[in-house]
Amino acid sequence: MGAGALTCLMFVVIALNAIAAAAGLALFAVAIWVAVDGYKLYPISGVSGKDDIFAAAWIAIFTGFAFFLACIFGIFAALKRSRGFMMVYLIIMFIIFLFECASAITAATNRDYLVGNSNLVKKQMLQYFADSSTQGKQITQTWNRVMEQVECCGADGPSDWIQYNSTFKQMFGSTYIWPLSCCKRLSTFEVEDKEGCMVGKASTIFPKGCFQHIESVLSRYTWAVSWYGFSVLMLVFFTLVIAMIYYMQLE
Amino acid sequence: MNINAVVRLMSLLSLWMRTGEGQIFQPELTPNTFLARITSNTVMLKQPYCVFDQTCPDCEIWLVAGLCSANAIFDAQVNSSTPNILSLSPYPTAFNSSSNNFFLTRVGLLSDFPCNLSSNDQYFVVGADGKCSGINCNGELPDGFSVCFKYLLIYTNETLVNSSNWSVNIDLPKLLNLHNINDGLSARSGAMVVITSILCAAAALLLLLFFIMLCITCCTKKESKEISVTNSIRIPRYDTHDLKNRVHPYDNPAYQSDFKNYSTANTLPKDAAQKL
Repeated sequence: MGAGALTCLMFVVIALNAIAAAAGLALFAVAIWVAVDGYKLYPISGVSGKDDIFAAAWIAIFTGFAFFLACIFGIFAALKRSRGFMMVYLIIMFIIFLFECASAITAATNRDYLVGNSNLVKKQMLQYFADSSTQGKQITQTWNRVMEQVECCGADGPSDWIQYNSTFKQMFGSTYIWPLSCCKRLSTFEVEDKEGCMVGKASTIFPKGCFQHIESVLSRYTWAVSWYGFSVLMLVFFTLVIAMIYYMQLE
Repeated sequence: MNINAVVRLMSLLSLWMRTGEGQIFQPELTPNTFLARITSNTVMLKQPYCVFDQTCPDCEIWLVAGLCSANAIFDAQVNSSTPNILSLSPYPTAFNSSSNNFFLTRVGLLSDFPCNLSSNDQYFVVGADGKCSGINCNGELPDGFSVCFKYLLIYTNETLVNSSNWSVNIDLPKLLNLHNINDGLSARSGAMVVITSILCAAAALLLLLFFIMLCITCCTKKESKEISVTNSIRIPRYDTHDLKNRVHPYDNPAYQSDFKNYSTANTLPKDAAQKL
C-alpha cells in the first residue's frame, strides 16, 4: 500500500479512535447516572434479588472508562505505526468489547424479569409493604414515596389491596383497606378527605396503578445501559475492523 | 301481648301501604361507585332511610348479616318467638362450621333515619369492626360466600317489631393468596433478543477476523520479496562508526539532505523498490 494511502488509513484509525474514546467517556457518564439511581427505585430490584440492571451499569462504568483509555492508546499506537502496539491495542479492545457485551446483554435480559408484567412488583408490594423486616421498611418507604409523588396506588390500581391478602391487610386491615399514601392530599400534605379515601370515593383516591411509572424508570435505566452500550459497541466493532486492516498494512 | 298484637297489625297495614307507595323494603347496596363497595370481607349498604314507616320513638334498626343459605334458619328461629333475638348468634362464633352463619348488629335509632332526610351519600359498612369479639359487633364477613341482609326493627325490650325483606344475594369475592401470583419470567422483549443476537454475532465475527488477520500476517512474513536494484536507489547505510545525526560524505550525495540515521526501519528500501 502506498505511503499516502497508509497515512490516510492512519488518520481514519485515529479519527475513529477519537470518536470511540468520546463515546466511551459518555458511556461512563451514563452508567454513573444509572448507578446513582436518581429515581430511588433500587429497593424494588434489590429486595427481589434481581438487581442485574445496576450490576450491568457498574460494569459499563468500568468498560466505558477503559474504552476511553484504550482508544487514546490506540491513537498513540497508530501514530507510532508500530505493529506491536497495534496488536496490544487490538487485544485490549477485544477484551473490553466482551465485557461491554456482557453488560448490555445482562441489562436487557434482567429488565424482562423485573418489569415484563406487573406480577413481581405487585407480589413484592403485597408481601413487604408494612412488614417490619429491613426489606419491608425499604419497600414501604419506596412505595410510599412513589405513591405520593407519582399520584398512584398499588401496582395495577387500588383494587390490588382489595383482591389480595397482604401483610398490610393483616396488620391494618380492620381500619384501612389501602395505605393513606393512596389518598389525594392538599398542599399542606394533609389528606384531603380521609373518610372518602377509606371507602374509595373516586375523587379522593388515586385510581391509577404505579406499575407504569416503575416500568418506565427501570426501562429507561436499561435502555441507557444496553442500547447505548450496543451503539458504542457497533462503533468499536467498525473501528477494530479498520484497525485490523491498518495493522495488516503496517511494515 | 295486646300492644304487640296492635303493633304487629299496624306494621302489616303499613307494609301493605308501603308496597303500594313503591318503597324499597330491603337492605340495598349503596348506589355510589365506591371502590370498596364490595370487598372480600365488607359490604357498603345504603343507610336505612325510609325503610320502616312506624313512628316508634325508642325503636332501633338492627341488621341481620349472614350467608344466604342461612336465611331460612334465621326466619325459623325468629318465628319460634325466641325472647332474645339479639343474642341468637354471637359474632365471634357466628361463622364456625356448626354455627348459624349469621349475626346481628345495630345500625342506629329509627328516629335517625327519617324519610325526608334520605340521602344516597350516606352509607353503612357491614364488617367495619374487623375481627371483633363483641356479641353484636359489626364483624367482617367470610370471603368467597354469598351474603344476604335483612333489617329488623327492635323495640327497647328486645322485641321484634318489624322486619324487612331479605336483600338480594351479594357475592363476596374470594380473597386471593399473594403467594399464588406467578412472578416468573413473562416474556422476552424483542429488544433483548436483538441486542443479544447481534452482539454475540459481532463478538464472534471480531474474533474470526482477528484470527484471519493473524494468519495473513504470519503467512506473508514468510514470503520474502527480492529487491530489484536498477539504478539510483536509496541504499542502506550501515554505520560502522557510531555517527548519529551526521551525514556520511561517501554516500550518494542526492540523499545527503536526509539526516536520518539509516539504521532505522524507515530507510530500508522496501518502498523504493516498488516505485521503480
